[in-house]
Amino acid sequence: MKEQERTDAENDQAMKLAPDEDLMLEVRNGAGETLGVLFDRYHTPLYNFYSKLTGDRTLSEDLVQEVFLRILKYRQSYQPGTPFRAWIYQIARNARVDHYRKTPKHITFEPEMAPAVMPKDSAQHSEEAELLHRALMRMPEEKREILILSRFQELRYDEIARLLGCELGTVKTRIHRAIQELRQTFRQIESGMINKDKNSGVTKFVPPRRAGNEV
Amino acid sequence: MKCEQIGELLPDYLQGNLDEEQNEIVELHTAQCADCRDEVTIWKKLGLLPVEQPSAASRARFEAMLHAYQTGRSDRLSARFGRAGRAAGSNIFQWLRTPVGVVAWSAALLVIGIFAGNYFGSRPTHPVANQDEIAAMHTELTNMRQLVVLAMLQQQSASERLQGVSWSQREEHLDPQVMAALLHTLRFDGSVDVRLAALNALSRHAGQPQVHKGVLDALQEQQSPLVQVALIDLLTEWRDPDATQRLRNFEQTPNLNPTVKQRAEWAVSKLN
Repeated sequence: MKEQERTDAENDQAMKLAPDEDLMLEVRNGAGETLGVLFDRYHTPLYNFYSKLTGDRTLSEDLVQEVFLRILKYRQSYQPGTPFRAWIYQIARNARVDHYRKTPKHITFEPEMAPAVMPKDSAQHSEEAELLHRALMRMPEEKREILILSRFQELRYDEIARLLGCELGTVKTRIHRAIQELRQTFRQIESGMINKDKNSGVTKFVPPRRAGNEV
Repeated sequence: MKCEQIGELLPDYLQGNLDEEQNEIVELHTAQCADCRDEVTIWKKLGLLPVEQPSAASRARFEAMLHAYQTGRSDRLSARFGRAGRAAGSNIFQWLRTPVGVVAWSAALLVIGIFAGNYFGSRPTHPVANQDEIAAMHTELTNMRQLVVLAMLQQQSASERLQGVSWSQREEHLDPQVMAALLHTLRFDGSVDVRLAALNALSRHAGQPQVHKGVLDALQEQQSPLVQVALIDLLTEWRDPDATQRLRNFEQTPNLNPTVKQRAEWAVSKLN
């Protein structure tokens, strides 16, 4: 009995350390419960990807659930040996595109989702964070997405290139342009050139395009 | 070096991909050029945006989805491997497999059922319950469960609706009201998870004409590729005589997802 417990504990430990790809292979072979470990690893990053992109917390949570449902549903289409991270982000992007295709009424959004306040932040930091958030929300979807992928999701440029279906050089150029635009917007808001009023900026929303394989 | 050339190096500089020499070039330039320096500053400042935590309900929702999905699958498996004589056994098996919380809940419902029975039934309470009373209590418990299912299918939260759907699978016989609610859920529920779960729940009742019609109609209405594929699979599994024509029409739908289209073609070839 004791031995059994130890093996279980060891298995648990082994599972927590196993690479994503091995876990996904187990899910693919029918061990649905293993998906829980992958959920623990990815649901916060995915939630942040969606919430920074859409500014809508409820929608972000729904989309995260959708991603994991799709993984279950399409687990057979996961190709052994391919990076899981790239695959899950592919699913995540497509889930969002499909959502906007289904509910086109969301053609505009309110960029008003105040960033969560961190108590340890100094007042200056939290004000800067809010301005940055507002600047980010004013950017076109495509530029915002590429910034989020590279800065917050910590995807490498070659991973982003594969995800967006473009060349590595193109990704770098687009990231640089996005930074330039963010800088300008941020400084304009800061200096008061753009109204600091929260209710002023409603960006026209352009639905994103799908790239890569249908998942 | 000009800003333009630095701009080409900058993204790699920011992710720390440059070699020492190139790193130095960028740093020399940014020391002199305020605009380029500000770009680096902005990139660093982005770190001020906090990592947000999803709500605690998120994990519970995932568990409910996983549970509903796996229950749905094992239902289908048991349906495939011989329906006759196994229904009662698998029901008890399922009952044992359910989480403790759900068992505790059913116990609570039983107590409510007994109280409700005593209260509304207005029959004198005898110390010894006879067979009739036990049977009546069973019926009441079943009715209570159906009420709970109906109430849960109306909930705001998708995970509660999911739970409602999985509750509906407890009963061997589908109450007409519950069936109507499930069909409504299949057609109109906002969440793909819940629609899929409803479809799984309905899949056991192929014999019912309304279910049959509801699933066929749903094929034209659904927009989600997931639900579309599940519908096609179910129709193939039922070997539905009306399905071939419907599927042929369905294949012609403009802008159909290629995977779904492929699946529909496969289903038509399988049905013929």
